[in-house]
Amino acid sequence: MSDGPEKSIKEITEGFSKHGYICSEQIATAVYLASQLEKPILIEGPPGVGKTELANTAALHFQQEIIRLQCYEGLDESKALYEWRYGKQLLYTQILKEQMQDVLEGAKGLKESLSRLMDFEDIFFSEDFLETRPLLQALTTETGAVLLIDEVDKADEEFEALLLEILSEFQISIPELGVRKAKVKPLVMLTSNNSREIGDALKRRCLHLYIPFPEAKLERQIIQARVPEIKKSLQKQLVAFVQGIRELDLKKQPAISETIDWAKTLILLNSEELDAQLATDTLNVLLKHQQDIEVVAKEVPRLISDSMGSPSGKSIN
Amino acid sequence: MERVLTDFVKALRNANVRVSPAETLDAMEVVDRVGYGNKDLLKRTLSIVLPKTPEEKDKFSSCFDDFFTDEIKAAVEVDLPDKNQKANNDSSDLAKTLMEGSQAEIMLAIAEAGEESEIREIKYFTQRSVFTRRILEQMGVGKLEDEIMQMGSQNDGDTPSDLEQQLRSQLTGLRERVSDFVQQQFLLHGDVSGEQLREQVFKSMNMAQIDRSYLQEVHSLVRRMAKKLANMHSRRKKNFRRGKLDIRKTLRDNWVNQGILFNLRWSYKKVDKPKILVICDVSGSVGAYARFMLMFLFSLTEVVSKIRAFVFSSNLGEVTQDFKDAQLEPAIEKALQKHGGGSTDYGQALSDFVSLCLDDIDKKTTVVILGDARNNFGPEKAHLMKLVYERAKQVYWLNPEGKYRWNTGDSVMKNYSAYCTKVFQCGSIDQLERVIATLLRTAI
Repeated sequence: MSDGPEKSIKEITEGFSKHGYICSEQIATAVYLASQLEKPILIEGPPGVGKTELANTAALHFQQEIIRLQCYEGLDESKALYEWRYGKQLLYTQILKEQMQDVLEGAKGLKESLSRLMDFEDIFFSEDFLETRPLLQALTTETGAVLLIDEVDKADEEFEALLLEILSEFQISIPELGVRKAKVKPLVMLTSNNSREIGDALKRRCLHLYIPFPEAKLERQIIQARVPEIKKSLQKQLVAFVQGIRELDLKKQPAISETIDWAKTLILLNSEELDAQLATDTLNVLLKHQQDIEVVAKEVPRLISDSMGSPSGKSIN
Repeated sequence: MERVLTDFVKALRNANVRVSPAETLDAMEVVDRVGYGNKDLLKRTLSIVLPKTPEEKDKFSSCFDDFFTDEIKAAVEVDLPDKNQKANNDSSDLAKTLMEGSQAEIMLAIAEAGEESEIREIKYFTQRSVFTRRILEQMGVGKLEDEIMQMGSQNDGDTPSDLEQQLRSQLTGLRERVSDFVQQQFLLHGDVSGEQLREQVFKSMNMAQIDRSYLQEVHSLVRRMAKKLANMHSRRKKNFRRGKLDIRKTLRDNWVNQGILFNLRWSYKKVDKPKILVICDVSGSVGAYARFMLMFLFSLTEVVSKIRAFVFSSNLGEVTQDFKDAQLEPAIEKALQKHGGGSTDYGQALSDFVSLCLDDIDKKTTVVILGDARNNFGPEKAHLMKLVYERAKQVYWLNPEGKYRWNTGDSVMKNYSAYCTKVFQCGSIDQLERVIATLLRTAI
């Protein structure tokens, strides 16, 4: 009974690592549950730990299309759900004017004309005139999709309410056309940077995954996967250095994406080893606030010696 | 099996993790898939389904470790099959169970005795030892002890017999197990009211009398209350979202109507966030109150755009920057250390305040003063209060002393209160919350 899930979780971990995404067991479990229970998953964590990347990799892994909806203040249903193509509707009414004349020819009085018109379907409010936006698109794909609703905390509270129907029932009601149900339920991932507390109603409908900064071992694996050309000794030193920085009191902690950038920078500079001078010169890749750079610059010698002190590059686990 | 999960959910709720019934159903579905076999996997999966914030995940983790011990697992497997068969425990039965019974059987015996002793009624952590003793008695430990004693006295030699030794060690094991059991039951059934009781006490207690060792707890309580207020007021913002016509948006949205303006669009009006200046007396007697006041206000930065905080005992100094840079707790300590102590001089503090930031006071500003207005018979300089009052939107005075003590001795409350929009008594956290709710309501 418990053999199945463990195996599938392992498969996910391996599948993801093929696409260059090294995930912890916790993340793999979350992806497994989301795909099994067909429930949306809300991913929180500090910026740069790979929340968006997780969705992209999931799409690659499950070989499905990724549909992305970037949230921002003022996002409304016409941008997220669907919109009528007003221009096309207008144009067509103009073009079809003469046809209308034919249809209405010989009709006496308003009543008769109207009933004749009624015999025709509501052509102007049909699928042909519907502009699908990401959310509707995700429901209508035949092959299933990964729907990424990015930075949902940036959108207004009203938008959250809009999401509720989609996330729990996987359906959208369009007044003119009726309820659209998902053909294949998409795998939904929402990300949030916690700039605003997400409402309870939304949270209740989602699984919840918190991605923290990675531990040293995991981060080393990630760097190895993302920047394969880096030397092991440098990679170990670099990760130890970054882990040391995270213990300081900073405005913005360096995330994985910054560590990767830094690793790439060091490769570009052909450096074999991390020393105080090099670290100080390239700190601005890692840190995004002048105050933070000043704080860390003072600590560089200590951090360097600490990172040297960790097990040397020869013993690789 | 399901009972274990619902019990666990109950324990989570006791630990202040919010779990809705729908989430419990989710958890059951998940457990159906992964089973109880792999504890790690179970923990990982449940941590995705049940707790929904990082803080809750921490609580979940410790709660899970407490709850899913091996004993619970044994209990899961047995699940009280034949309850009535072992109705009367006499000593020989207990000895027999201890010596020959399996772990599960012993657990079962404990659970039964627990049922008899109405362990579900446990409410406070002080009751743990009482219940432990009650359960042990119920199981017939008294008699067993007597028997062991007798064995000891019958045995003349210095070395006790093997049986006696074994029984003794089994008995110690049993005691430990029962106390673990009681602890677990307490986590399940108690705590909530324990915590609630404590919170109630904290809320209504005079702030100066809250012991320093509880600061951490009170801080989290204050933060929760502040968050509630913040939520309330961020929701209020929406009501302000009408008023001005957004011409550009209206035209753009209405060109589909051939330019006839059917649907009007309003520009979202940004709410004016209030500006608050707080002046706290941090001299000996009032310092404790200032701590909570500052704690509360600086937990509210989401809703309040600008807070400047000043503290004084004789001279006045600004501490806003300290609070922005540092953690709340050390910032408060620092402020109290730097400016606290010394004799109070309201006159001096007021003139410092006026020269420091009178220009910053405008008709959106709320000035809050926390102090007992005990001026050591110095010059009170009430005309400066008037100056502030005339420029600000409103001036609140919070006095931690009971109303009956105002204007007694060296208190000059009445001279200042003439220039206050409102005067509050503010001694407990409850009162403080009420005052700040009023403040937010009127300051916007």
